[in-house]
Amino acid sequence: MMEPVDLIERIAAALRRDIGPAVTEPYAKTQAFMASVVLGKVAAELRSSTAHAAAAALEIEQMVADLTALAGTEPLPRAVQAALDTVRREASDAALANLVTALYGACETLGGNRFEALLGRLRQTLRARLDRALEYTA
Amino acid sequence: MTAATSTEDITARICAYLATRLPAAREIELIDLERIAVGWSHETFLFDARWRQDGQPCQQGFCLRRDPGNALLRHLSDLREQFRVLQCLESTPLPTPKPYWYEDDPAILDRPFLIMEKVPGVCPNPWGREGRAYYAAAAARGVLPDSFTDTLATLHTLDWRAAGLDFLGVPDAGSDFTRREIAKWRAFIDDTAAPPHPVLTDLVSWLEANAPPTRHLCLVHGAYRTGNLLIDDDRISAVLDWELQVIGDPMYDVAYVLSDLNREGTDLLSNLVDRDTFFRRYEDATGFTIDEEVCRYYHLLYAMRSVAFWLSASDLYASGRSEDLRLARTAWSVPVVLERAARELGY
Repeated sequence: MMEPVDLIERIAAALRRDIGPAVTEPYAKTQAFMASVVLGKVAAELRSSTAHAAAAALEIEQMVADLTALAGTEPLPRAVQAALDTVRREASDAALANLVTALYGACETLGGNRFEALLGRLRQTLRARLDRALEYTA
Repeated sequence: MTAATSTEDITARICAYLATRLPAAREIELIDLERIAVGWSHETFLFDARWRQDGQPCQQGFCLRRDPGNALLRHLSDLREQFRVLQCLESTPLPTPKPYWYEDDPAILDRPFLIMEKVPGVCPNPWGREGRAYYAAAAARGVLPDSFTDTLATLHTLDWRAAGLDFLGVPDAGSDFTRREIAKWRAFIDDTAAPPHPVLTDLVSWLEANAPPTRHLCLVHGAYRTGNLLIDDDRISAVLDWELQVIGDPMYDVAYVLSDLNREGTDLLSNLVDRDTFFRRYEDATGFTIDEEVCRYYHLLYAMRSVAFWLSASDLYASGRSEDLRLARTAWSVPVVLERAARELGY
């Protein structure tokens, strides 16, 4: 039995190599080639998903530790702390987005330097997530 | 995908419609009906109509744009608004197609449509090999680059209030224009089922925190580049694609011209215009000073807009409102745009 990801890649290749070129109607031809592209990206995403998930989990753990250290002895604004706690528990894009919103919302309370430091560290994690996504999107 | 309409069917229905609009016309027939396969927002048909009137043969070219029912920008700029914008622009020096009729009665062509003048000219695709060669040759001749810049200057200096374009909405002083744009594209994004993306949240939050004030208000096209401009004899014969226009900051259009997203394999802006020449000629013609820092801000706002387009496009597919796989493909464009934005933001 083939692995699903191998099957998807084979279908994508057949669409690109055999089916697409044989189609004459322009719209259908475009759709055949586009199906090949989409399936290729789905396969690449599936193939990397386990490794990416593991890397993301490690990064979140390190980021939460770093942000906590950067906060120092002065407590973080309540909304930022709550968002950080959620990221620690969930490690999802939604939780990270919520942390970004909380940081911008607390910018004045945090002060420019502290805000920049915290956002800068958070952006390192966002950058790593983008880089992984680009492995199968670009 | 839009329900297919056969060429014969649509030809017959357009002829029947023209007969109602040209009551003195006899023996109306369409020749050279061509469906233009560009863009995802509206269906476009070009054709010539031939008829007899008072015993004399008549012929005229028309362009018909029809709402396909699931267009990308449908919520933002319907055909009624496009028609009204073209009507307003008729009295200005900006070259635009003359609008003839707008109809929203589905009995005619199933969905709303407008008919306007078929302006002479060509519109090469700037991303194709032939299009790039066309613009490179035109750039070398030197006439079209000046016409490109002069037409933008005409757009930015026309009296939009006198033309009646204030119906588009007039921003207040300060950063109201920018905030309106952010709110518009945020609503567009929120309208999709896309999950939150933290880099997009960072981008939007940064845009909100750094919105620049607008020094001048003008009519902004919103997508001024080669590919949206009709060219005849090395001059812009018509500014097309009135889907994103707003009253706002001229730097919004200038930023679009300066964007490296709108050129390929060349330093020439929009594959056509030397940067220094553009600066000098545009500033001389408008009296505006190009503010590169503000343009940098607008590049990031365009990144947000692009994400809104791609999310909306992929949502059309995901929700089953379209079967076009090109729309499904756009989901993977989002991280690419966000990566550029992240670099602009310094990470």
